Amino acid sequence: MRRKRYGIYLAAVTLLILAFFWISLILGSSDVTGGEVFKILSGDQSDQLHVNIILQIRLPRTLAAILLGGALSLAGYLLQTFFANPIVGPYVLGISSSAKLTVALAMIFFLSKGREIGLGMMVISAFVGAITAMLFVLALSVKVRSMSVLVVCGIMIGYICSAITDFVVTFADDSNIVNLHNWSMGSLSGINWDEIRSIAIIVAVSLCLTLLILKPMSAYRLGEAYAKSVGVNIPLLRILLILISSLLAACVTAFAGPISFVGIAVPHLVRSCLKTDEAHVMIPACFLGGALITTLCDVIARTVFAPTEVSISSVTAVLLVPVVIIMMLQRNRGKA
Amino acid sequence: MPEGNGMHTEQLHIGYRSDLIRDICLSVKSGEIVTLIGPNGCGKTTLLKTLTGELKSRGGVIFLNGQDRSALSASEIAKHVSLVMTHKIRPELMTCREVVEIGRYPYTGRLGILSDTDHIKVTEAMRWTDTEELAGAQFDQISDGQKQRVLLARAICQEPEILILDEPTSYLDIRYQIELLKRIEALAKEKRMAVLMSVHELSIARRIADTVVALGEGKVLKIGPPSEVFAESFIRRLYHIENTDLSLLGEEPWNPAEASTHTFRSRGKAKAIMIQGTMSNAGKSVIAAGLCRIFSDMGYKVAPFKSQNMALNSYVTAEGLEMGRAQVMQAECARTKPMAAMNPILLKPTSDKRSQVIVNGTVVANRKAAEYYQEKQQYIPDILHAYDQLSEAFDIIVIEGAGSPVEMNLKENDIVNMGLAEMVDAPVLLVGNIDPGGVFAQLIGTLDLLTDEERTRVCGLIVNKFRGDLSLFADGIKILEERGRTKVVGVVPYLNVKLDDEDSLSDRLNNTGKNAGDAIDIAVIRLKHISNFTDFDTFDQTSGVRVRYVEDASELGDPDLIILPGSKNTIDDLQALKDNGLADALIRCAKEDHCIIGICGGYQMLGERIADPDGVESGGSIRGLGLLPVETVLAKEKSNANVTREITHATGILSGLTGCEVSGYEIHMGKTKPIGAVTEFTSDGSGYCMGNVYGTYLHGFFDSKEILCTVLQSIAAANGKTVDPANVTDYAAYKDRQYDLLAAALKEHLDMDLICKIMGLNNDKG
Repeated sequence: MRRKRYGIYLAAVTLLILAFFWISLILGSSDVTGGEVFKILSGDQSDQLHVNIILQIRLPRTLAAILLGGALSLAGYLLQTFFANPIVGPYVLGISSSAKLTVALAMIFFLSKGREIGLGMMVISAFVGAITAMLFVLALSVKVRSMSVLVVCGIMIGYICSAITDFVVTFADDSNIVNLHNWSMGSLSGINWDEIRSIAIIVAVSLCLTLLILKPMSAYRLGEAYAKSVGVNIPLLRILLILISSLLAACVTAFAGPISFVGIAVPHLVRSCLKTDEAHVMIPACFLGGALITTLCDVIARTVFAPTEVSISSVTAVLLVPVVIIMMLQRNRGKA
Repeated sequence: MPEGNGMHTEQLHIGYRSDLIRDICLSVKSGEIVTLIGPNGCGKTTLLKTLTGELKSRGGVIFLNGQDRSALSASEIAKHVSLVMTHKIRPELMTCREVVEIGRYPYTGRLGILSDTDHIKVTEAMRWTDTEELAGAQFDQISDGQKQRVLLARAICQEPEILILDEPTSYLDIRYQIELLKRIEALAKEKRMAVLMSVHELSIARRIADTVVALGEGKVLKIGPPSEVFAESFIRRLYHIENTDLSLLGEEPWNPAEASTHTFRSRGKAKAIMIQGTMSNAGKSVIAAGLCRIFSDMGYKVAPFKSQNMALNSYVTAEGLEMGRAQVMQAECARTKPMAAMNPILLKPTSDKRSQVIVNGTVVANRKAAEYYQEKQQYIPDILHAYDQLSEAFDIIVIEGAGSPVEMNLKENDIVNMGLAEMVDAPVLLVGNIDPGGVFAQLIGTLDLLTDEERTRVCGLIVNKFRGDLSLFADGIKILEERGRTKVVGVVPYLNVKLDDEDSLSDRLNNTGKNAGDAIDIAVIRLKHISNFTDFDTFDQTSGVRVRYVEDASELGDPDLIILPGSKNTIDDLQALKDNGLADALIRCAKEDHCIIGICGGYQMLGERIADPDGVESGGSIRGLGLLPVETVLAKEKSNANVTREITHATGILSGLTGCEVSGYEIHMGKTKPIGAVTEFTSDGSGYCMGNVYGTYLHGFFDSKEILCTVLQSIAAANGKTVDPANVTDYAAYKDRQYDLLAAALKEHLDMDLICKIMGLNNDKG
């Protein structure tokens, strides 16, 4: 019964991803028909312009949406498990914004030296930012036991980081300032194959690490005391949870800027669909769900006001904030 | 399930940042249920958390199945110990089966996939806890009772040898409580698990446990079987509810009927019972006296005992030793010879601040109250020596306390009330006086001020001096027993028996009323330091005789006989008589040929002069009343004797006394010699008389039937009154009758069976 539900879900989500993958390749400012896309993907190079559009722009962008969306959603799920609270995510806790700030600082630092920032540097600086924010939130979570206060603190951290980023961007005296600005709003545009490779590696590593904590995570759901009593190494689990979620969040921020609400809303949607919180199921399901939602949002961001592109965060916010609000209302009702 | 030998700890220190409890040594054997009790914050949860490993121990060793816990890996520990915690967990979207499956954690592989065996064990555990039908339900949507069972199933399928539960019955209604407890019991008894659980509901902790561990006051206060730990006093101490009424809780959490099971060993061979009062004049001496007579009637050899008496009224034994009158009276009740050992310490106030200290009959010091209070502990060996002497010679010792046992400022180093009761390990009956009102406050207030140990000593309450219909007090008894948690062994009516009274608080001294009708009117001058006023008790037995105590010249009137009693401070009292005009009134009466008898100090006052060259009292010298030509020199030396003398020659009205024999005792300081023409009244120069004025050193002068009759008849004749001598008896015989009356009344109103049981007497003689 349950397994069937999981199977249906996975199949449906995979199919939908493929569908949006296809739509994402077709839609855009220059008209490329489905047939052409199919030909190009199967190696036809007759129309060089269209080949470039599809292979160098649309394909990497769609793949990035799938990988980063999955990464974000997974990061959100891990954080929710860590805090035993479904209203947290990398964006809400200020982790994304902090990563954004460190990346912006790193970019400007390198630009002032007259050099492009390398991919590695990007990821590292984002990771440093993510971990810094994470540790800060952790420190807070020891002091304040209330989850709502913790979330508010996270949002405040996010605002401060965004403000500083804006400040830095405003005073950056370089032509890249436009790029920087676009990036800081959150965008999947302009992702190239090199970046896709880095993203793929980071996501793969994270997924492998997640396998290690699959078992303790399910015990952890009963709370620390019970988890410890069955032999869970709590400190190790916590460190791994923090590392993996920070790595994933940093990866997303480094390559696409902060994308809001995917991390918090998608795990919730998935849970609602599957009626379970079992880690073995949730981890693949969240990854695919995140991929689907992000691809969808990216398509919308590119197309609704074409040729102008909206930031992907605007779309995710509009689509997912209602989900978060409904979730909070439901939780309140559940408590009352 | 594997049979192990459970868990034990050695010198375990627990706590968060500092040691909360040190040196915990407890053990939970397989098949045994150990409950952990104690007030909130005592460290129960901290201890459990430490045992489960959630909290680091701060020292010492925890052994699981004989293996040092710290040497085991996390999953090995998990195979030994599992737990059920109180704090509510709210796992979202988790089915009950998933919750139970977590118990298999230590047995699954790296990815946590359950094998078929694991699934079977999970199903078994759920069947055993009757939660199978909940398997698919969301854990956060089932009731608290179901949750606890699911968590128990989880703990069981972890297959531990040791199960730790933190208040597993909290939040559960009565049905779920019993279901859960039955299963826990079965786990221990059938599956041979070692079960350690903390419990708030004491009745549960008491019933289910094989062993109880009580934490409190920052340590392990007690470890033992429930029958030992759940003693009322201990539980009250543990939870700081010494004075709390728990009736709202319904059934009391401690073992029932503790009072009757507690036994007191009593020092020495004799059995003891101690009578303490809520106040002076509660009637302790009378109750003690009555008990002496009752036990004597039963055939026991009984001795009264009071470690310390403060009284002006003393008695001299055949050995010439001084003791308090109350114990003499009680000894008479007990039909035994008074012994100084019955009252090892006697304090006789000589002024408001000073007292003579008499130890085992002889004066050892003259002390200020404060000095005595400081040094009184040094008299403990004397007290115990005296007690042991009695314990050797008698079957039963009836001990009387003094004043109230809860004079909080003086309670330390007590040697008369609870201090003594503990020294000789005697059970206590507490007597309250309902006559002035406030008997509930007296009894319950006194109980509440006692410490726990002292309180367990109080085995019964007595309401004394009740006037009116005893049946009306039934509710009162109920309230006393509920609030005081102590049995009421009797309500004693206001008894009209005539006994020697203990001290100057006695009611009779307040009888100052004028003579009424044609009764023989005897006026006793009420001296401030009056002593040995029992000399006049014998008049009480004669109808048609009225004894008044006169303090003021205006009250003197026209009595048929004036008695000047003994005094502890003759010079002061004489000066007071001169100041308030009584001296002049007495001299006037003497001129009018009134009959005046002076006893001891009163005799000294009748003389020409009293000199105190050595400063025995206040020093100097004073003119006497001048009614007898004698002179007294006070001396340090005291002459004590139980003597028999002859009335050599009586002049005046009492001439009929001549040749009578008189026995009594003498306590005085100094010598009185004639300085003019005077007749010897009592032999050996112990008294002189002239006209109608008589003086003698003999206390108990009026006690014999012969003297009493002669005196009364003589003065009756002289004043034209009549007296019926038929009902006059020897004072001793009279007193004996009174004692029997007292014993009969007490026997009727006290639960003697219970008292015997309290004392550990086999009531075969009764």
